[in-house]
Amino acid sequence: MRKFSTLIIKYNTWLLFFLYCAIAFLFMRLQQDDVQAELHTGGMEFSAFINEHVMSFNSLFTMKRENERMMRVNTDLLSRVLSMETAAVDKRNRRKILADTTLNASGFIMARVVDRKFSDRDNMLVIDAGWRKGIKKDMTVLVPEGLVGRVTSVSEHYARVMPVIHPDFKVVVVADSCNSMGILSWSGGREFLAQVEHIPISSHLKLGERFVTSDFSTFSLRGIPVGRVARIKADNLFYDVDIWLGVDFSTLTQVLIAPLKTEQEQTGITGYTTEKKARL
Amino acid sequence: MLCIVSLVQEFGFAHVTFFNASPDAVTIFLAFIAVTFERNTSTSFGFAAGVISGLLSGNMGLHMLARTTGSFIASYFHTPNESHATVNQRNRRFYSAVIMAGLCTNVVLAAGENPLGVSPLYRIFVFGLLESLFNLILAIVLNRLFLRQLLVYE
Repeated sequence: MRKFSTLIIKYNTWLLFFLYCAIAFLFMRLQQDDVQAELHTGGMEFSAFINEHVMSFNSLFTMKRENERMMRVNTDLLSRVLSMETAAVDKRNRRKILADTTLNASGFIMARVVDRKFSDRDNMLVIDAGWRKGIKKDMTVLVPEGLVGRVTSVSEHYARVMPVIHPDFKVVVVADSCNSMGILSWSGGREFLAQVEHIPISSHLKLGERFVTSDFSTFSLRGIPVGRVARIKADNLFYDVDIWLGVDFSTLTQVLIAPLKTEQEQTGITGYTTEKKARL
Repeated sequence: MLCIVSLVQEFGFAHVTFFNASPDAVTIFLAFIAVTFERNTSTSFGFAAGVISGLLSGNMGLHMLARTTGSFIASYFHTPNESHATVNQRNRRFYSAVIMAGLCTNVVLAAGENPLGVSPLYRIFVFGLLESLFNLILAIVLNRLFLRQLLVYE
């Protein structure tokens, strides 16, 4: 015991130094553990956990309102997209018609098909151009692909068009190469197939031959394509000819209206009344 | 006195930096205590200085260890009152105590923390030597001004 006391007294400076160092290390250890920071972090995590669950619970109540808001936004966006797409399609169709070099469309009036009624018997088109734009009855309606029909009635802003695929529609047509003439009509059924009558059996008509409107037509301009021969059936005196129409009526959106061809002098010589000539 | 020196160091000399090193008034004070008083006293002063520095800097354990070690090493240069050391000898021992205390404190601090992101060796040898140099200059100035009388007539 005495030796121990002597040892302590002898090395008291070192002991004191080690004691202080031990205290310092103890503090360092406590700082490394960082109990306060851990408590703080744990508290934050707990608080965030509770907040997250409370907010997700609240979101259930606000879901309906949020859905309605999103629906309104979607409707608005959809209407904008539709409007822009429609405008783009119209512009494209207009360009397509104007870009056709075989047709001098400078004097023509352009219109858009705004209504149509298609069936296997009675077909009708409505265009958004009326007498304000210079549309008159019996004007020829066409597209670069071929003849569409003829104007039958006109209002201020709209006009009704009797298409080629109408049972009452008739027009004089002529074959491209053999110059055989006939009367085009449509007897119902398939909208892409029409008939040409009164072609003499002596003519040299061939399959695939193109028919265009004749100058004999009282309303239509000469040379408007109509279609190509799809079938030829010989009868006693005349051929019974089916032709594929050039116009696809199911995709018709933009049309051209040709100026009126009526020549009073010609009308006087032929003696046709307006109603009679309108049929041809 | 120790508290005042620590506050002066923390809010004064710590902001006077040369090449990222600053003079340490606490080390000079501890060196003076180590030279003047006996070893246990200087070690205790070092410990107390470490507590104060730790409280001010936020890293108590490391500063306690650094200051205690610095003071303990500096206490080897203790010059008893009854010794027949000349003024120059006393001064040299004081300066040596300042340099050794500064170096030891720097070594311990460099081992424990690295706020500038430099390597510990760079911190020990470059910053430690620079700080020791600054401490020495400051110690010489202080010694010339008023510590000399205290050292001689203690």
